[in-house]
Amino acid sequence: MESTPLKPIAPPEGIFDEMLAPGGDAVRRHYGAYGDWLASNSAETMAAKRAEADLIFRRIGITFSVYGDESGTERLIPSDVVPRIIPAGEWALLEKGLVQRVTALNRFIADIYHEQAILKAGLIPEDQILANEQYQVAMIGTRVPHDTYAHIIGVDIVRHNDGNYYVLEDNLRVPSGVSYMLSNRKMMMRLFPDLFRRYHVRPVEHYPALLLQTLRDAAEVVTPTVVVLTPGRHNSAYFEHAFLAQQMGVELVEGRDLFVKDGYVFMRTTSGPQRVDVIYRRLDDSFLDPLAFRPDSLLGVPGLLAVYRMGRVVISNAIGTGVADDKSIYPYVPEMVRFYLGEEPILKNVPTWQCRKPEDLRYVLEHLAELVVKEVHGAGGYGMLVGPTASRDEVQRFRAVLERNPSNYIAQPTLSLSSCPTFVEEGIAPRHIDLRPFVLVGREVRIVPGGLTRVALRRGSLVVNSSQGGGTKDTWVVDLPEDSDDLTPPAQSQTPIGQTQTQAGPSQGAR
Amino acid sequence: MLSRVASHLYWLSRYLERAENMARILDVGQSLALLSAKAGDEASAAEPLVITENIDAFRATGKPATPETVARFLAWDPQLPSSIANCIEFTRENARSVRGSITSEMWETINDTWLQMQAKRRAGHEPIDTAFFDWVKERSHLLRGVTFATLRRGQPYHFIRLGTFIERADNTARILSVKQARNAIPEQGASQFEYYSLSAVLRSVSALEAYRDTYHDTIGARRVAELLIFDEYLPRSLRFCAEEIGLQLAELPRDAGRHARRIAEVIHAGLAYGSLEDVHRVGLQPFLDQFIQDNYRLGDAVHAGFMETQ
Repeated sequence: MESTPLKPIAPPEGIFDEMLAPGGDAVRRHYGAYGDWLASNSAETMAAKRAEADLIFRRIGITFSVYGDESGTERLIPSDVVPRIIPAGEWALLEKGLVQRVTALNRFIADIYHEQAILKAGLIPEDQILANEQYQVAMIGTRVPHDTYAHIIGVDIVRHNDGNYYVLEDNLRVPSGVSYMLSNRKMMMRLFPDLFRRYHVRPVEHYPALLLQTLRDAAEVVTPTVVVLTPGRHNSAYFEHAFLAQQMGVELVEGRDLFVKDGYVFMRTTSGPQRVDVIYRRLDDSFLDPLAFRPDSLLGVPGLLAVYRMGRVVISNAIGTGVADDKSIYPYVPEMVRFYLGEEPILKNVPTWQCRKPEDLRYVLEHLAELVVKEVHGAGGYGMLVGPTASRDEVQRFRAVLERNPSNYIAQPTLSLSSCPTFVEEGIAPRHIDLRPFVLVGREVRIVPGGLTRVALRRGSLVVNSSQGGGTKDTWVVDLPEDSDDLTPPAQSQTPIGQTQTQAGPSQGAR
Repeated sequence: MLSRVASHLYWLSRYLERAENMARILDVGQSLALLSAKAGDEASAAEPLVITENIDAFRATGKPATPETVARFLAWDPQLPSSIANCIEFTRENARSVRGSITSEMWETINDTWLQMQAKRRAGHEPIDTAFFDWVKERSHLLRGVTFATLRRGQPYHFIRLGTFIERADNTARILSVKQARNAIPEQGASQFEYYSLSAVLRSVSALEAYRDTYHDTIGARRVAELLIFDEYLPRSLRFCAEEIGLQLAELPRDAGRHARRIAEVIHAGLAYGSLEDVHRVGLQPFLDQFIQDNYRLGDAVHAGFMETQ
């Protein structure tokens, strides 16, 4: 068999690579053992491993549905065979920052549905919250157990070319992707057992157990009955819903399996009705109860909201958490950390211009070709403009849309997301990545080490969403003998990116 | 256990059993056509359509009934709900909805069957030969084996088995019924064609060896009927199916299953304590018609009891 030696291709100048030190010759310390391993393997071996992985994924059925794609309604999310490695020291800092951030977010949600202290303090303009589409009036004054609103949170983090991590967005509604994290690990251990002998990779397999514990913690009854509520098998994340229910050993229900009677929620079983205490729902607020929200929704449970408001069922995440992950609220998160916890935020935000503010809008319109502009309520990489890679035509068209409804948009500097070596046609080449750790908030905050690394498989692309040609990578948090890595950047610097390029200045929360 | 899940499991196994039965019927029909002098006539070509009650659907296509067109229709027609391709499709769709209640080995077997079917379809000329029918049977055997070997004996298992045997009982009764009507069985001096025809019936339900072991004699119509209706040990006889149905229902929630159990017990009593003489008193055809109807009512009762609860 012909064999082609493997050497990672260096990224263009100015990109932070997770494996290669600047210049592209030296390998960062935590990738040292991987680099050695790679040098002793060939492109043919890697290709064979990848083919094996594809076959197994397809057979197991780890696929996702793509909206509006009639022909191939089921596609595999490509899983890359090169791991993304994070040294334990860096992870410790991320973990601390995540705990701090989700704690503040939960305090914020509780606050805006009760005392509204943060609004009274004038830190966030009232109309930003109260007139927000995601603000659920039904939740005003409704107590939830332990004041925990968001139990499961996915925080999207990127690394900029200054070597620092930044939070790109918080997902507090129904964050998905954790099944890929678990499948990737299973696959990597199967394909590369020798690598797991070289590294001490922290395990993630206990995530479903932690999730179940978190959902049980959320109830006030002693042995609660937990269910996973899915929109059904045509949903793009159905695989994940089924997977998590199976791993937790709880029922996977659809709306029609549940009904409300005598003030409680029941599921229809082969032995008659059975009471349900905790619903881990994987559908949006507006579909939960046709009597309270969208009357045309067939996915929910009529009367659910009334039972919920009486405290007789726990919905996880709570109704109304979406207001905190809205992109127009995102700029205020550091301020929330200071306000509720009296601490300085450990994780940084990406500087953000709010197009609803005239001076911000002016700046954004002038610099459209340099910025990333996103819809406030958008998700999945849809409805956004990536200035530097867009054609002049696209920029012009977007300008018109933006001017028509500025408050629907925010803008951020185009981050040069870090790259990670990825096995693609041209060999082991640098591709941009992000990171989504999954944070669980029960009686304590629990995070499995790492999370889901998404990778933009097209050269130069910054869009990592699976719906837009993204793939995933197994994410390893590794303990190194001595956890100081001279090739990794120092702890978070105090200079936020983007500061030098502003005159109008990105809004970092209200002053 | 969720009512909806019970329904998916029950139908998952019914559809796969249906695919297997269809393959059995077509396989035997084709080999019979090769042997028989009557091969050219339309009635014998249409027999699989009669057995499976798809004759009207086929006529609507406007095609002449040849062994080839009939087999292609029943195996691959996308409009026909009970074509083999659709049964495999529905098996997977049902399984996909209840992945949490079956083992990963079972899901992988079902998914793999579906992928292989897609590949066969994509290959262009959709196969309808013995190799294809063997493949269908094999995949059905495989899932049954994987289920037997990996699934815990809880409610999901029993709903799967229940679906298998209700579907199978229906199929055996239909095969017998059609052969009976066509041959108007003479007791003595069976012609050569009748011999082939009867042995085809036996082969279609994997009972040729069982017949020889039981009777050590040439194949006769009465005994074929006796074996397929009353034999206690033949996995495709009506009695065997009824025994299995009873065993499964006994393991399912008692209150919800009351009505279904009652119907099942009545059917079972008739088979366990009846004889061919009883059958001939009412006539074989009316007897089979009644059985098919009772079995249908049993299916309804299973639905009403376990799957439509409030």
